[in-house]
Amino acid sequence: MSTRETKTDILQGTLDLMVLRTLATMGAQHGFGLAQRIQQISGGVLDLNQGTLYPALLRLEHRGWIRSRWGVSGNNRRAKFYEITAAGRRQVEKESEDWARTVAIMDRFERLTETE
Amino acid sequence: MAGIWMRMKELIRPARLDGELDEEVGLHLQMMEEEFRRRGMSEAEARAAARREFGGVAHAKEAYRDQRGFPWLESFAKDVRYALRGLRRSPGFTAAAVVSLALGIGANTAIFSLFHTLMLRMLPVEHPEQLVAIHRTGGWGTGTVSLPLYRQIAGRADLFNGVLATNGVSKVRFVAAPGGLEEFAQREYVSGNYFQVLGIQPVIGRLFTGEDNRVPGGHPLAVIGYDLWRNRFGEDPALVGRNVIVDEQSLTVIGVAAPGFHGVAPERHTDVWVPLMMSHVGQIMSPNSWWLMPLARLRREVPLQRARAALDVLMQQHLRTIYGRSYDSAMRKKALEQRLEIREGSVGLSMLREHFGKPLGVLLALVALVLLAACINVANLLLARGAARQKEIAMRLSLGATRARLVRQALTETLLIAAAGTAVGIGLAAWGIRAVSGFLPEEAGNPFSSAPDLPVLGFTIAISLASALLFGLGPALRSTAVNPVAGLRSGGLDRAGSPVLRRVLVVAQVAFSVVLVALAGLFGHSLLAMRSVDLGFRNQSVIAFNLDFTNAWKGNLRETHDQLMKALAGVPGIDSVSCSFPWLFWQSVADASVRVPGSERTAAAPADVDIAYVAPRYFETIGTTLKGREFDRNDTASAPKVAVVNEAFVREFLPGEAHPQTRWLSLDDSKREGGERTSIVGVVRDIRQNGIQEEPAPRVYVPIAQSDMKWPPDILLRSSLPPQVVFQIVGNNLKRIVPGIWFNNFATIRERIDDSIFEQRLMATLGEFFGALALLLAAVGLYGVMSYGMAKRAGEIGIRMALGARRADVVGMVLGDALLLVAAGLILGFPLAWAAARAVHSQLFGIAAVDPLAFGATGAVLVAVALGAAFLPARRAASIDPMRALRHE
Repeated sequence: MSTRETKTDILQGTLDLMVLRTLATMGAQHGFGLAQRIQQISGGVLDLNQGTLYPALLRLEHRGWIRSRWGVSGNNRRAKFYEITAAGRRQVEKESEDWARTVAIMDRFERLTETE
Repeated sequence: MAGIWMRMKELIRPARLDGELDEEVGLHLQMMEEEFRRRGMSEAEARAAARREFGGVAHAKEAYRDQRGFPWLESFAKDVRYALRGLRRSPGFTAAAVVSLALGIGANTAIFSLFHTLMLRMLPVEHPEQLVAIHRTGGWGTGTVSLPLYRQIAGRADLFNGVLATNGVSKVRFVAAPGGLEEFAQREYVSGNYFQVLGIQPVIGRLFTGEDNRVPGGHPLAVIGYDLWRNRFGEDPALVGRNVIVDEQSLTVIGVAAPGFHGVAPERHTDVWVPLMMSHVGQIMSPNSWWLMPLARLRREVPLQRARAALDVLMQQHLRTIYGRSYDSAMRKKALEQRLEIREGSVGLSMLREHFGKPLGVLLALVALVLLAACINVANLLLARGAARQKEIAMRLSLGATRARLVRQALTETLLIAAAGTAVGIGLAAWGIRAVSGFLPEEAGNPFSSAPDLPVLGFTIAISLASALLFGLGPALRSTAVNPVAGLRSGGLDRAGSPVLRRVLVVAQVAFSVVLVALAGLFGHSLLAMRSVDLGFRNQSVIAFNLDFTNAWKGNLRETHDQLMKALAGVPGIDSVSCSFPWLFWQSVADASVRVPGSERTAAAPADVDIAYVAPRYFETIGTTLKGREFDRNDTASAPKVAVVNEAFVREFLPGEAHPQTRWLSLDDSKREGGERTSIVGVVRDIRQNGIQEEPAPRVYVPIAQSDMKWPPDILLRSSLPPQVVFQIVGNNLKRIVPGIWFNNFATIRERIDDSIFEQRLMATLGEFFGALALLLAAVGLYGVMSYGMAKRAGEIGIRMALGARRADVVGMVLGDALLLVAAGLILGFPLAWAAARAVHSQLFGIAAVDPLAFGATGAVLVAVALGAAFLPARRAASIDPMRALRHE
């Protein structure tokens, strides 16, 4: 139970941005690789149910932000690789801006409580 | 876009995608395991850890699948599959529901398509909403005006933006090219401004203008309909300038009208338009020839009221100049009572609408009732079905299904039933339309378009959706309102099927049936009353026809008829031959002004009487009784003038005269004491000549040999041979005597009588059909409720029987219950039926709106149906074994 306390649940809707960001910087990844990266980047504090990754990937694919194809992974196994599309990159830009703005706003509220 | 394409693929190949997902997840878990083992876990530990990190595998897959394809579509498809399975499992219920609905929807579609054509469909012309029909009332004939009167109306540019005239559409002989085959075409005589007023453009060539309609007989021109041009001339643009032969007139085609325009009569389909001035009608310029129907474009700034007042004045002035002097007072009075009415014109001019508009409205109301009854029936069936599925529903609710989901599923099922009912109903409608068309006389035209009308299809879909909602929503809500625990425990019969609601529905069904059965009774009784009217002659199987004379032969009218009648009289199997004008049961009239010396009635002024020109053996042929003698061969043109009068004539002109045969009348009305003597040689019974509802009026029969015989008479044959054989015989003889002449309107007098009362026959037949339908639906509903109630009370009945109740008591109890429901239905239904009867009273003949026979029969029939429907359940109840019933309890 001790780990539970230190790990954070994923905020609704942020998983999509994480996936897109990761794919944008790391290039094509298979599901496991992608999950590893996300956990790595989060510094291991994110409580990612890796199974939830797949519905998210399908959702992104439906929206045309990523595409998938079957390829061969490092140790010669057939795996499905996901990569970001041009539309996906535009979406990343946009969402990153939105995110930055949200963070900035939240930040101000944080400072407000501090000064009180 | 990419998303939609992808979803489509997912929809089509779900199995393959499942496989891919399995592979992907499997690989993921495997890689994780390897990772954990690298970190030093045992194989078992690594597998467990991988599973833990991944989260619920099944859950992830399910979430993935839920997103795939079109989730709502898939769940809809799932509901459809589920509903189909359920419907297939209970074929009896499905068939009953679909058939009831199909009958309701089919009846509505058939009647509405007729209603739409005759009453609603706007003419495909420019601004049809501005059009008004100008309709003459009173006086003689129906609706038409004379050419001089039309010209006066058309001259009122202050009221109208153009007034066109047409003489209606008639089927005539047509030859597409001189020397070619003779066919038939629908011809319409029209004024020169016809196309301009309607705003119709030519496809090729030009259309008529006022210049094409100036001089009688001076404009041998024709405009061809688009359909005829396409079907008969292969859209040949060189048709313009060529000649066609229409009703023996050689006419030059000047153009083809735009596609989709078929003239101004909704039940007709004009092929050829010809200028009015080319009409064969004699005396087209006479103010006494009523033959034109005007259609006008009312000026936008002119209020209807003002136009009406202006036409009243115009009509009075017109009538006064014509009938001012020189006519007898009775005739002048009748003439001056005529008026011009302004009627809705956007839906065209229709003779059929005149007669059939009102019955059609009643029919529409009747079929709406039938559909309501069908909906109630299906609702009842659904409730019963919901009751039977209580346990299943309770189970699904307790397993976590939401009520909304179950309601959606139930509604999917009703939608499927509605869709099937609609599909079958449209088929039934096509059959129904054919059946209704069979009642219309040939000259009524064909009000049914062969192609399905979009508005009619829309109407059908709208009513089927409305009915699906009507019969589906209630039961869906009702049957899912289940307490899962109670529902499971009671084994499905707890509040099952809400018996009260079902009983209320059955009562409503019975009430609707009462209305429909009572109306059926009224129409049936009315028809019976018509059929039993004494027409004054007996031989309705007499065959009548008339010769279709070409212009070249018109001069030989008398000679040709004499020859043909002589030839036919010699044929074995033909008992008697005669002829007459006006024609029997053909809405044709002839009148004359007479003086009857010694009669008070004509002492001051001559009187108007009906007249008929008949050949020898006429009264014998049609089978009537006569005092005195019939005309014979000796009553020739040069012999002394003779006449037969009817009893009404004697009553009016020679009241109390015991020997009318000793008196005489004069067709020369100029002198008070009469001119040339016409001896009365016989008195014949009053013969209803034109219609069953016609009141007998004084009539004078004159030998046709002593008349000037301007029109072809009816030839009447009494024969024991079948009509088809007679048809052949007539054709062969005619070909021999006068090649090139044909005959028309070949029918028995009975068929003509049937045609003259087609509305009443149609109403009686359809009324009976719908009444029977409603009864059937009510019987099904009653049966359902009774057997359900019986099943529920099996325990109670068992106890009663164990306590000594006899079988007869049990049967009586169940039957009494059914009678209670019917009694409630009758109490509700009779006032409704009474109101309906009041509404249709004007269409009934010879009976009161509250006809004791019809209403009494309705009550009896419904009680009988109730007893019939309850009998089976009652017998089943009576054969309950008390021991078994109690043990089951």
